[in-house]
Amino acid sequence: MERAVPLAVPLGQTEVFQALQRLHMTIFSQSVSPCGKFLAAGNNYGQIAIFSLSSALSSEAKEEILHFSLAHDGPVYSMVSTDRHLLSAGDGEVKAWLWAEMLKKGCKELWRRQPPYRTSLEVPEINALLLVPKENSLILAGGDCQLHTMDLETGTFTRVLRGHTDYIHCLALRERSPEVLSGGEDGAVRLWDLRTAKEVQTIEVYKHEECSRPHNGRWIGCLATDSDWMVCGGGPALTLWHLRSSTPTTIFPIRAPQKHVTFYQDLILSAGQGRCVNQWQLSGELKAQVPGSSPGLLSLSLNQQPAAPECKVLTAAGNSCRVDVFTNLGYRAFSLSF
Amino acid sequence: MSSESSKKRKPKVIRSDGAPAEGKRNRSDTEQEGKYYSEEAEVDLRDPGRDYELYKYTCQELQRLMAEIQDLKSRGGKDVAIEIEERRIQSCVHFMTLKKLNRLAHIRLKKGRDQTHEAKQKVDAYHLQLQNLLYEVMHLQKEITKCLEFKSKHEEIDLVSLEEFYKEAPPDISKAEVTMGDPHQQTLARLDWELEQRKRLAEKYRECLSNKEKILKEIEVKKEYLSSLQPRLNSIMQASLPVQEYLFMPFDQAHKQYETARHLPPPLYVLFVQATAYGQACAHMKSSQPPRQDKTLSVAIEGSVDEAKALFKPPEDSQDDESDSDAEEEQTTRRRPTLGVQLDDKRKEMLKRHPLSVMLDLKCKDDSVLHLTFYYLMNLNIMTVKAKVTTAMELITPISAGDLLSPDSVLSCLYPGDHGKKTPNPANQYQFDKVGILTLSDYVLELGHPYLWVQKLGGLHFPKEQPQQTVIADHSLSASHMETTMKLLKTRVQSRLALHKQFASLEHGIVPVTSDCQYLFPAKVVSRLVKWVTVAHEDYMELHFTKDIVDAGLAGDTNLYYMALIERGTAKLQAAVVLNPGYSSIPPVFQLCLNWKGEKTNSNDDNIRAMEGEVNVCYKELCGPWPSHQLLTNQLQRLCVLLDVYLETESHDDSVEGPKEFPQEKMCLRLFRGPSRMKPFKYNHPQGFFSHR
Repeated sequence: MERAVPLAVPLGQTEVFQALQRLHMTIFSQSVSPCGKFLAAGNNYGQIAIFSLSSALSSEAKEEILHFSLAHDGPVYSMVSTDRHLLSAGDGEVKAWLWAEMLKKGCKELWRRQPPYRTSLEVPEINALLLVPKENSLILAGGDCQLHTMDLETGTFTRVLRGHTDYIHCLALRERSPEVLSGGEDGAVRLWDLRTAKEVQTIEVYKHEECSRPHNGRWIGCLATDSDWMVCGGGPALTLWHLRSSTPTTIFPIRAPQKHVTFYQDLILSAGQGRCVNQWQLSGELKAQVPGSSPGLLSLSLNQQPAAPECKVLTAAGNSCRVDVFTNLGYRAFSLSF
Repeated sequence: MSSESSKKRKPKVIRSDGAPAEGKRNRSDTEQEGKYYSEEAEVDLRDPGRDYELYKYTCQELQRLMAEIQDLKSRGGKDVAIEIEERRIQSCVHFMTLKKLNRLAHIRLKKGRDQTHEAKQKVDAYHLQLQNLLYEVMHLQKEITKCLEFKSKHEEIDLVSLEEFYKEAPPDISKAEVTMGDPHQQTLARLDWELEQRKRLAEKYRECLSNKEKILKEIEVKKEYLSSLQPRLNSIMQASLPVQEYLFMPFDQAHKQYETARHLPPPLYVLFVQATAYGQACAHMKSSQPPRQDKTLSVAIEGSVDEAKALFKPPEDSQDDESDSDAEEEQTTRRRPTLGVQLDDKRKEMLKRHPLSVMLDLKCKDDSVLHLTFYYLMNLNIMTVKAKVTTAMELITPISAGDLLSPDSVLSCLYPGDHGKKTPNPANQYQFDKVGILTLSDYVLELGHPYLWVQKLGGLHFPKEQPQQTVIADHSLSASHMETTMKLLKTRVQSRLALHKQFASLEHGIVPVTSDCQYLFPAKVVSRLVKWVTVAHEDYMELHFTKDIVDAGLAGDTNLYYMALIERGTAKLQAAVVLNPGYSSIPPVFQLCLNWKGEKTNSNDDNIRAMEGEVNVCYKELCGPWPSHQLLTNQLQRLCVLLDVYLETESHDDSVEGPKEFPQEKMCLRLFRGPSRMKPFKYNHPQGFFSHR
C-alpha cells in the first residue's frame, strides 16, 4: 500500500479520538445474512456494523455501511446467522437480533442468554458459536473451557461438555454424524459425540513432532472439517489430519500462526498473522497468496447463500477497521470500512 | 321686350296666389269697387293668365290695325284718312290696354318680390333660432360630460374596508339599514367615519406632541444638572488624587490609558476594550480578594501616541494604492532606484505595523506570566501576536523541551489547525503577488503570528466563501471568543509548563507519577525509561512502525515528536510519540516497536497492537485529575507496566533450557483470552491483579 498524503484538515479532539479508535479497531467476527445481501461485522468495541454487499457490489458501489450499533459491552468475538436471526457473542453472553430489524435504525436485541458459569471473578468470554441444524441448537464455547449446548427453540442450556483444560478457541461440526470438534488453548482438538455427550477422540496436536512449534505455543486457533478430514492450526503448524487414523497427512509450510481455516471446493483457505489469504492444495502446495489490507486477519467468510448469487464473495477481516472483499479468489476488489 | 318680361313674371304670380284668386276678386269686386280705385287691389282680382291672353289678343289687334293702316296708306285716298283715324283710335285704345297691362305686371312683380323677401326673412329667423338651439344643446352636452367626469376628492382617501367599517363604526354613523343598499349613502357614511377617526387621531397626535415637549423639558433640566455636576466631579477627582496614590488605586492611570486607546486602530481598540472588560469581570468574580490587587489579566498599550496621531493627519498614507503612487513619484524623482530596492520598500510598506500595540499579561496560578503583544498590520488589515512566557522561578531547560515554550510554537494550534503561518485575510494574497511576497510565513518571526483567534479577538472575521471588501472590527465577535480563548491560553501555558517540568525528569529516566495518579499503577514496576529525546518530523515519518499514524493524518508538521526507550533486561521497547500542540485535550499518540526475540510491531504482534490501544484509545483513564497535565507521564508509566505484563506473560518455550528471563510476578486471572490471545493488560486498583479489558 502506498503512503497516503497526510490529511490537510485540522483535527480536533473528537476527530483525533475517532481516528485513534479506528486505528486500533479489530474486527473479530463476520456473518452473512440469510438473504446473502448483507454482511454483519463485529469489532473489539462491541459494535456490530451491517454492510450492504449488494449495493457495494452493484455498479454504483455506494452506501456500503448501513448502520452500526453498540451491541455488546466487550468485543464481539463470534457471530452466526440462522434463517431469521443473527446471533452474536462476546463477553459471556449471546444475543439474538432479528435480521429484518437489524437493517433499521435503533434495533434492540431479541433476547440474551448467559450459559451457566461456575466462576464468578471474571466473566468468561465466548469465542465460538456453532449451529447444529439437525437438532436446532447452538453450541457455545470459550473462556470456561466447556461446550454449552443451547436449544434454540426454548432457549435453555441442555448439555455441558467438559474436557478442555484451557479456554476454547474454535468449533467445527461434522456434517454427517452428529459430532463436534473443538480446539483450544490447551493444544488439543477434541471430538465430541452429541448423542452421548461424551468425548470420543482427542488429538493433542503439539505432541506430534511434525507440526509442533514450541516457540509459538500449543494453542489451536482454527479448525475445519470435511467428512474424515480435519485441518487445524494455531501455535502448531497448519496441518491436515485424517480423523479415523488420527494422523497428520499434510503439513502446510507457513510460519505465521493461522487464525482461520476453511475448506472451499478442493482448496483449503487459511488466514492469520500477515496480510494474505492463503490458498492451499490438499497436497500442501501453496496455490496462491492474496494480499489484503489488514496487517493480520482473524476471520474469513464465504458468502454462499443461494439466494444472492451475485453477492458470492469472500470477505476477510482482522486487525483493522476494514473488511476486505474478494469477488473472486484471485484478488482483493475493495474494502468495506467501519 | 315687354312681352318677354311679362312672360317671365307671370308664373310667379300664378304660383303665389293662383287658386284663391277667383274668391278674392269676387269679394273685392263687391266691397272695394265703389270706394276708391286701387290698381294694386285690382291686381289681386285679376287673373294673370287672362291678362296674358288679353295681352296676346291686344298685340295681335294692334298688328292687324297697323297692317290695315299701312295697307290703307299705301293705297292712298281721301276716305282713307277717316278710316285711318278710326283705326288709330282703335289702336290707341289698345295701347292703353297695353299700358295698363304693363303697370299691372310691374305691380305684380313688386308684390312677388315683397313676398319672396318676406318669406326669406322668415326662413332666416328660423335658421337663426335653430343655430341657437343647437349651440345650447352642445353646451348642455359638454356640461353633462363635465359632470360625469368630475373626480371627487373622497376617492383618493384610503377608507377602511367595508367589513371593518360595519364592525367598528357606531350605528349612528354607519346606519346599516339605510346604507346597506345605497352605495352613495354608504360612501357618505364611511367618509363620516373616516372624518371621525381622523379627528380622534389628530387629538392623540396633539397629546403626544405635548407629552414630547414635556419630556424634552425634563431632559433639558437633567442636562443642566449633569453639566453642573462635571466641575464638581472634577474637583472631587483632583482632591482624591493623593488618596488614590496612597491606596494604590490607579483609577486615573486607567483613565489616561483610555485616552491613549482612542488612537488605537479599530481591531486593537476592540481587543483592548474587550480584554479590559474581561479582566475586570474576572477580578470582580473573585470577590474575596480586593479588586485590582490580584489581577490575572492586565492590559496595557505600548508605542508612541504621537506617531499614531501623525498617521491620521494625512489620511492618504494608510491607503494602499496611494502608497503605490507615492512610490512611483519617488521613482521618477530619485532617478530610478534598482528594482530590488524598490520592491523592498514596497514590502516594508505593506508589512508596516501600527505604531501602537496592545500588551496582554496573562498570569497563571503558579505566577508564571504569558506576555502577549498584539500588533496590527495596517495595510494587510490583519493582527499578529508575539508571545513570551516568563516563570516565577528560573527554569533549567531540558534539551528535549526546546520547542515547548519557544515564542514560535507555544501558541501553535490553540484551535485545531490554527498554526498561524498563513494570512487569514484572503485579500492579502493579491497584495503579496504585487510585491513578490510568496507567503507570510517568512516574515512571521519578525511580525508575529497571525493566528485566527487573534483576528477573532480583534473582531476581524474573514469568511472564506465570500471575500468582503471591507472587514470591520466587531465587538460582539471579540466578546464571544474572549473567554474561551483566554482559558485556552491559560491551559496551554500551564500544560506547557507542566510538560517542561516533566521533560526534565524524563530525560533523567524518571517517570514522575504524582500521588493522585498512583492508583493507576501497581507498586512495583520493573521496566524503566532510559531515553527521552526529540525527533524531527521527517525522521518520525521515516520510522518503519509509524506508517499507520502517518496514513491516518495524525502526523502533521505542527506536532512535536519524541522518542522514548523503555528497557527491561534484554527487551527494549521503542515508543515514538506524537505530541499534539493541543495537549492535553488531545492525547499524545504512541507507536511501539519491541526488540526482544525479534522485532515486534503492531503489524506482527497483536499484543503490541493492544498495548498501543491501551495508551492511545484508553487514555481517558490515565488523565488523572483535571486539567490532566499528568497524561503524558501516566501514559509512559503505563507503557512500563504494559511491558512488564507483556514480558512476564510470554509463554515459555519448552525447547529452550534454563529459567525464564522474566518470571511472572504480576497476579493475573488468565494469561490469554479471546481469538487474538490478548494478555491481561488491565490493572485493577485495590486488589492489584491484572485482568483482561
